[in-house]
Amino acid sequence: DRENTIYITLISPGSGDRQNNGSSAVTSRSINIRVNLNFLLCVSNCEYMNMFKNQIHTVMSAFPPVVEAGTPVHGNDEVERHLVLVEKVAYSKGLPPEAISVMLEFAMSLRMGTVLCARVLRCLIPATVVPQEAVVRAVVWLGVGKIPMSTQVLFIKWVLTMFDMIDGKDQLRAIYGFIFSFVTEENLCPFICHLLYLLTRKESGKSFSHLRYGPFIQRFPQFYSYSLFLVFSSLLQALLTGRQPFLMHLLSLYKVLCPELVTLSIPSRMRWVRNHNSTWKSTLIGVQKRNGSQAASSIGLAFTIKDKASSRKRKHTHLQLPALSSVVNKQPQSEPSSSRKLVPLVQLHSFAQLLENMHHIELPAQMGSLLGSSLALQYLDFVQDESALLRLNFWLGYALYEEFLFCGDGGGFQNSDEALQFLNKLLSTENFLQGGFTSSEAFLYKFLTVWDGSLLRPQILALLSNIPVVPSSQIGRLLFEPLMQLFFTSSVFFKCGLVECLNSMLLKWLTWHSVYALEDDLDISLKSYTSINMTLSGFKDSVMDLVHFVGQLASVGLQLEGCHSLLLSFTLDFYETVCDMFLKYGLPLVVMPPPGVFYPTLFATDPISVDRLAYIMYRYKVNLASAKSQEKLTEAFHISSQTFHEFNHYVVVMVNSLWNSRMFKPDMDLKLSEELLLKSSVPQHWTSFDLIHHPAFMSYAIDFHQKVTFLHQKSYDADILTSIKLTPQSGPKERFGDVTTFPSFFRLATCLLQKHP
Amino acid sequence: MALLKPFSKLPCLNTANILLVESEEQFQQSLADTLVEETAFTVNVRLAKSLPLPMENEESRPRIDLVVFIINLTSELSFQSAEVSLKNLDPGYFLGKVCFMVTNARNASVPTERLDAVRKLAASLHCPMLFAEDQTPDGVTNATERLLTILKVAAGFVPMATALYLSNLTRRTAPPDIEQPSFD
Amino acid sequence: MDDSTKRLLQRLIRRIPAQTLRTTLEKWGRLTAAQQRSMDFTQPKWALSEKLLAICEENGLTAKHITELEMTNVIDNPNQGMWYAFQLMDPEDDANSIELTQFKEQFKSHLRELVRPVSIKIKKHTDEAVWIRIAWGDSFSRPNHLKPTYVVHHLQTPYVFVTSLTSKQKPLLSQALVLSARYQAIKDANLSGRKLTAIRDLLMRKYQQVFPTMYPSPLGERNQVVSNPHIEKEQAEPAANRLQMACEAFGDGTLPQLQTVVYKLETKFRDHTNKTMTEREEPFSCVVKFASTNLLESLRHCASSGIASTPVTPLLSSILQKGRNYFVITDNGSGPSTQTRQPQT
Repeated sequence: DRENTIYITLISPGSGDRQNNGSSAVTSRSINIRVNLNFLLCVSNCEYMNMFKNQIHTVMSAFPPVVEAGTPVHGNDEVERHLVLVEKVAYSKGLPPEAISVMLEFAMSLRMGTVLCARVLRCLIPATVVPQEAVVRAVVWLGVGKIPMSTQVLFIKWVLTMFDMIDGKDQLRAIYGFIFSFVTEENLCPFICHLLYLLTRKESGKSFSHLRYGPFIQRFPQFYSYSLFLVFSSLLQALLTGRQPFLMHLLSLYKVLCPELVTLSIPSRMRWVRNHNSTWKSTLIGVQKRNGSQAASSIGLAFTIKDKASSRKRKHTHLQLPALSSVVNKQPQSEPSSSRKLVPLVQLHSFAQLLENMHHIELPAQMGSLLGSSLALQYLDFVQDESALLRLNFWLGYALYEEFLFCGDGGGFQNSDEALQFLNKLLSTENFLQGGFTSSEAFLYKFLTVWDGSLLRPQILALLSNIPVVPSSQIGRLLFEPLMQLFFTSSVFFKCGLVECLNSMLLKWLTWHSVYALEDDLDISLKSYTSINMTLSGFKDSVMDLVHFVGQLASVGLQLEGCHSLLLSFTLDFYETVCDMFLKYGLPLVVMPPPGVFYPTLFATDPISVDRLAYIMYRYKVNLASAKSQEKLTEAFHISSQTFHEFNHYVVVMVNSLWNSRMFKPDMDLKLSEELLLKSSVPQHWTSFDLIHHPAFMSYAIDFHQKVTFLHQKSYDADILTSIKLTPQSGPKERFGDVTTFPSFFRLATCLLQKHP
Repeated sequence: MALLKPFSKLPCLNTANILLVESEEQFQQSLADTLVEETAFTVNVRLAKSLPLPMENEESRPRIDLVVFIINLTSELSFQSAEVSLKNLDPGYFLGKVCFMVTNARNASVPTERLDAVRKLAASLHCPMLFAEDQTPDGVTNATERLLTILKVAAGFVPMATALYLSNLTRRTAPPDIEQPSFD
Repeated sequence: MDDSTKRLLQRLIRRIPAQTLRTTLEKWGRLTAAQQRSMDFTQPKWALSEKLLAICEENGLTAKHITELEMTNVIDNPNQGMWYAFQLMDPEDDANSIELTQFKEQFKSHLRELVRPVSIKIKKHTDEAVWIRIAWGDSFSRPNHLKPTYVVHHLQTPYVFVTSLTSKQKPLLSQALVLSARYQAIKDANLSGRKLTAIRDLLMRKYQQVFPTMYPSPLGERNQVVSNPHIEKEQAEPAANRLQMACEAFGDGTLPQLQTVVYKLETKFRDHTNKTMTEREEPFSCVVKFASTNLLESLRHCASSGIASTPVTPLLSSILQKGRNYFVITDNGSGPSTQTRQPQT
């Protein structure tokens, strides 16, 4: 029916119905080959095409229409030779669509036995597209039931791998029910579910929450009868005796599309099982690269797929983000209800185009390809398409689990570039979207329970800081417990890294809250694309838990590490975030640092820590003062008096020790008896931590003293230091009055005071 | 056969002694080579395949500060040997002077029941459980660092911290069941 | 060249490993230097076989020459296929002084008496081994060169190694061998493996053996790894003992590479907890098979690492001592198998 096309129908003897109508009826073992002469003519000068013509000829002549029963496969050199030729072409340039048709039909009809079927399937690498009629016919052969199970599985894996290259999906969707019937086959079930997952699509971008039955059928034409869809979902639900993860994923997609039909509750975090590996992926990518032009028209891929297949023992095929446009997608022509043309995302190249076509964009079937493209991410972030997100999470979770949690025996990949690149890419995506994916969150919780603390540490900690707010009831079990064990058994550098990670996590939570919280509403339903519903009080609980946790980690960690200054620095970073929670982020919560953090900082031996502590206390004061004044205006929130007590106490201690020289007096937390202090034979021990005598400021004191002696041209005498005194502490007036009589102290004081706000 | 006792001997100055028990005798050797490189204090490493230890070495053996059971999750024999060896350890050790080091936890061929069983064992004995990557030199170095962190406390080099204190911080409750989603 | 010869050549080229193809062709010596140079060994095999076919036609080579090439290949790569060992029994008086030419003539004449037509090729290799290639025919067909039998016999020893022998051909070959080597009988040595060199070394004791001594040398000398004084093995002595016992059983040098050992058990079931099985009269027959890329090496490691209990059980150590890897265990102890195992084609 098309010009320039030759139809050849080959019929083998012994077939039941000798029908010559070219239909893909199962009973007649006939091969229909359409050779499109146009294809041959227009590229006739190319050497490749000459070879192609020869191939078609040899391929067709190699498989004569009448194959005698019992034609031996072993030792049949003719077949061997032709197969070798086909394989050679397949691995170098890929097979043209007609050849794919012929070979697929040859294999799946078991014309020359089951061994050759598997071998042919393995070498079916397409150069451009896979004709969907061939796939449909092959699926029909699957139903005949003579193919051994392992080869059936191989075929479905092939379809899954080549899914993006099938030139149209409408015919496959037309036989959705037929494909669905394979779900009951135990060995095929996971792969069939994956295939169905890829095939199930919405026609438009709208949600289905308000469906009636009539319009439903229009919008969901692949379920050509509503009762059939009921059968599908109920069959799936009945099959869920083991709550197998692949069935759950398919059901969750159904639930998103038609929530009223799926009555089971699907957990948002689902288990992962090893699904499939791809025999073809690496060869396919190699072929595509060699064919050049098509892979290049992707949307701004920020990275290149490294072709290191030869030197690598393990193929990280599941880590390679699929190219966003490997094949030009044919427009589905036979979809009845698409009055609007859907533009595939691959065809958009700039933000302007994205804006133009915002409402009729078709997402690719392979969701992982979105991770590489900023345009796609922007679209995804805006449109909040649940099914797309579901599919993206599905792919991401699978890739993460497969690579990091279900490793093979080699396990020596840890520093492999691909794994690092993948995680970095994921990180940049999460940073771009300013939030984490649920699948990466689930992966992290699992990973933390088997992590040694150093494997891919920067990436894992960075991913950890991206996880959304964890409800208070879960946070201990999921997060704190594994982290605590890692923290206390790891080196000080891990400790620092973890505190920094938790600080970053807190910052992100606070930022998220300040963006999504409504001004006057205190009981907030916060909904983001990670679909968490949380009230303000729940959020406050989680933040409080986190702050207390870090406080605990820091207190004990500082003690165990002997107040290591790096750890102290990261801890103070954290409290610089915490002290400003109210003013900077609008969260009505003030949490004071624990004594285990306050006192080591106060007595630290470097001046920066003491300085930062002073700054932190100052910010606490400002926050508390503001909170107190607001409290008078609105009855809404309430800072407990306990917090004020703690703050006051800390300030008193600080001023007493630094300024008033009243260290170790009875009203402090540190209770040391007089006898013990006398035994230490430190003269005037109550001054030992004031501004002049504090070990942290020793360097400033010496520096000041040097300047003073230089100015006064006196010889440097260390004893002069001891001659600097403060008057006995009685009251501020006296103190100020005395200040004028001690010029050196005054200069020292001003010098130091300049460093404090 | 006498049980190994934690406090029956005097400690040596600035020295910590660690005992690595591993049925396969592989990972312990590379750990030992890295452990003795510690410079802040002297580390003596004793290697054993299983407990009880031979009587002949009783005299020359110093006081063991930390006993580490190395379990390779891909081998059931490794786990069983560790379980049997545990019975030959004085209960005094379980106040923070025992820990488990587990390798190959991320391996696909490991049955989940075995990992859960090891977790339960560690939780019931209040011992920390460390995961290690034994295939790479970085993993070995990191595992050594972690053992040294615990060893320093167990040998008394960290002021104001005892092994019991640390083990309380690192103890696990019941094995976490991440598979059951209760988060929705 | 007729079809069958062509097929023979094609098959042969497929079987020759790619790395050794060039050297094998050179050794064969039937190609001129120019022809040898013209072959491009980077091409796939089917291209090479077509080229070679053309060259052979050019040189007018026949099936006889192709079989020469095959024999050269098998002699150079003896570790393909499955080899079975046999032992000749009860030598006649002149068995030890038999000479090559005499053996050749005798063998050929005896075999030709028993089977006609048959194609026999005998070649002596540098290491005193006599290689025999037999292509069997019968009254209806010519000798089948596609399925030849190879026999290796070391003169003045009672050992014969055979590959690709059917049960029908076995008595014929046995008869011919016995007569020409001047023995009275031949029996199955219960030893088989993929590597001819390995089973030959095993049988003829060409490996580093352990001799029982009164004062075994301390293994400490050998294990003098300079180790850190801070590292000490608690159980060094039991480990050393295990190692010593393993070496007593298996030696401490390189071992011949066997792949399997099979124990056929015909003993009664013994387990106190299982009454029903223990009460049965007839023996509980089962087969235990150990398989490995280097079986003896792995057994030695099992013994030295404690997986197998030491001292090494005679069931394992008798592989080396008796030179066999097929055992039948009955309740009276393991004895020589009453039934010989059929070598499979």
